[in-house]
Amino acid sequence: MSLLAAEGIHSFYGDVQALWDVSFEVDAGEIVTLIGANGAGKSTLLKTVAGLLAPRRGRVVLDGRDVAGEPAYRLVERGLVLIPEARQLWPTMTVRENLEMGAYSRAARPERAKSLERVLAMFPVLEKRARQNAGTLSGGEQQMCAIGRGLMARPRILLLDEPALGLAPKLVREVFAALKEIRAAGVTLLLVEQNVPHALALADRAYVLESGRVTRTGPCTELSRDPRVREEFLGIASI
Amino acid sequence: MSKILGVLADSLLAGGLYATMAYGLAVIYGVMRIINLAHAGFLMLGAYATLFLFTRFHIDPFVSLAVVLPAFFLIGVALYLAVVRRLPRSGATPSMESLLLLFGLWLVLQNLAYAIWGGDTQSILTGYTMKSISFGGVRVGVPLVLVFAASAMSLLVLTLFLKRTYVGKAIRAVTANRDAALISGVNADRISATAFGLGTAFAAMAGTLMSTLYAFTPDFGRSFLLKAFCIIVLGGMESAAGVALGAFVLALLENVMGAYTPIPTTFQDAISFSLLVIVLVLLPQGLPRLFTRISRPAHTR
Ligand SMILES: Nc1ncnc2c1ncn2[C@@H]1O[C@H](COP(=O)(O)OP(=O)(O)OP(=O)(O)O)[C@@H](O)[C@H]1O
Ligand SMILES: [Mg+2]
Repeated sequence: MSLLAAEGIHSFYGDVQALWDVSFEVDAGEIVTLIGANGAGKSTLLKTVAGLLAPRRGRVVLDGRDVAGEPAYRLVERGLVLIPEARQLWPTMTVRENLEMGAYSRAARPERAKSLERVLAMFPVLEKRARQNAGTLSGGEQQMCAIGRGLMARPRILLLDEPALGLAPKLVREVFAALKEIRAAGVTLLLVEQNVPHALALADRAYVLESGRVTRTGPCTELSRDPRVREEFLGIASI
Repeated sequence: MSKILGVLADSLLAGGLYATMAYGLAVIYGVMRIINLAHAGFLMLGAYATLFLFTRFHIDPFVSLAVVLPAFFLIGVALYLAVVRRLPRSGATPSMESLLLLFGLWLVLQNLAYAIWGGDTQSILTGYTMKSISFGGVRVGVPLVLVFAASAMSLLVLTLFLKRTYVGKAIRAVTANRDAALISGVNADRISATAFGLGTAFAAMAGTLMSTLYAFTPDFGRSFLLKAFCIIVLGGMESAAGVALGAFVLALLENVMGAYTPIPTTFQDAISFSLLVIVLVLLPQGLPRLFTRISRPAHTR
């Protein structure tokens, strides 16, 4: 049984449909990546799975239980945590407060001090910035704060929406190194990433999303040989 | 010179009361993006509750807060659970349904007060109602000083609550970014219930405090609702300090107009309304944003 699965998801914004019959699954311990062009529906899929958007049809199965339509905070208590697109920090709260709020759920609260120690060890720059408002951080620091906040919730499965967007190459490498470290600590990852070469190199399996539908899936080694994937996402023309 | 001091003192004292009154509106708007048009109704009921405790049990108005605050907190929570949570979720702006519902509730509360107490003007006279004391040559009424002390204390406790406790931080988090709060494990529904209770309690507290200064009828509170709008537009909704700043600015403007211009005090509402319009046009994000804009260059590296 997979840790997390989506089965035939249809999601809408008002009357506008964004996802059609999307299915995927993630096993415990895996890193799975979702790739697709801008507007393909990657963020919509993560929001649906994390409980910010209720699907109109289909099931979201966590630990064998259908959780579609349950509010996000309940899923956090079950160990499913989203690190959203564009970070979504609280700009007028301090870095420390942002991190501490990550441990709000009943399950994570008793571990707060220990989690904070771990996060600060992983991102030492956050310790220096602890008393600063999150809105005053640089883009890279904000991203680390967002990842740190997600880790404070003690996730079993972490959903990441473009954690390296807009970062300089050195910071991109740092973020990916952090993701490896997080996986090594036993956390399952579902990663949406524009930087497809990096994502395919890190992940075990990938799903390709096009116009709200899953069009291809397979192990990353296989997909990175697929001519259409190479042309569209890796910028390598096939002969 | 002493006239200036007098104006400043009056503004400061009135500002504390205004801040208490406006915070109730601000916290509900911040957490739920709902404008509580029934705010004035709870303010008025707070005054009547204090009158009831005073005439029936001879409880001092300031002591009555110990009963009024928790009672109205529970009333607010119950109201949220029974009615307000069933409203369709509004996005960035309050929905028509919420405005109609809460306006209707205000009318119900007013008529409830008419039914119970009638339309006569009521007032609370205590031993210190007419007393005054002087600070360095400036004479101020004892009730006004007590009202300020109670307001300042409540805002201080509130600030500590928002800064130090999990629930307080969750209120700030939902206000600043609801989705971010949800994915951090905050039960936004429970926080909304808490905020509605808190907002209702603060409205009632303002009513209690005002009952020691002014006479009132079931229509009491209408002009204060307008002032409260003006204050939260000025001061923003994210912190008690912002609300306090907005409250002081409004009180200062009213007192300066009263002391240095021939504009009669009956025009006070026109002042707050004009200020509201001017601020919306010139400073659509309120005073705190002006400060962050000025101080921002110091932070960026
Ligand atoms: N809040 C919204 N309201 C209405 N439509 C939306 C909303 N958010 C996204 N959409 C639409 O849904 C579709 C999928 O958007 P989504 O944000 O999921 O794409 P994405 O794959 O994450 O793109 P990107 O790579 O640019 O982040 C798009 O057509 C978009 O216009
Ligand atoms: Mg996206």
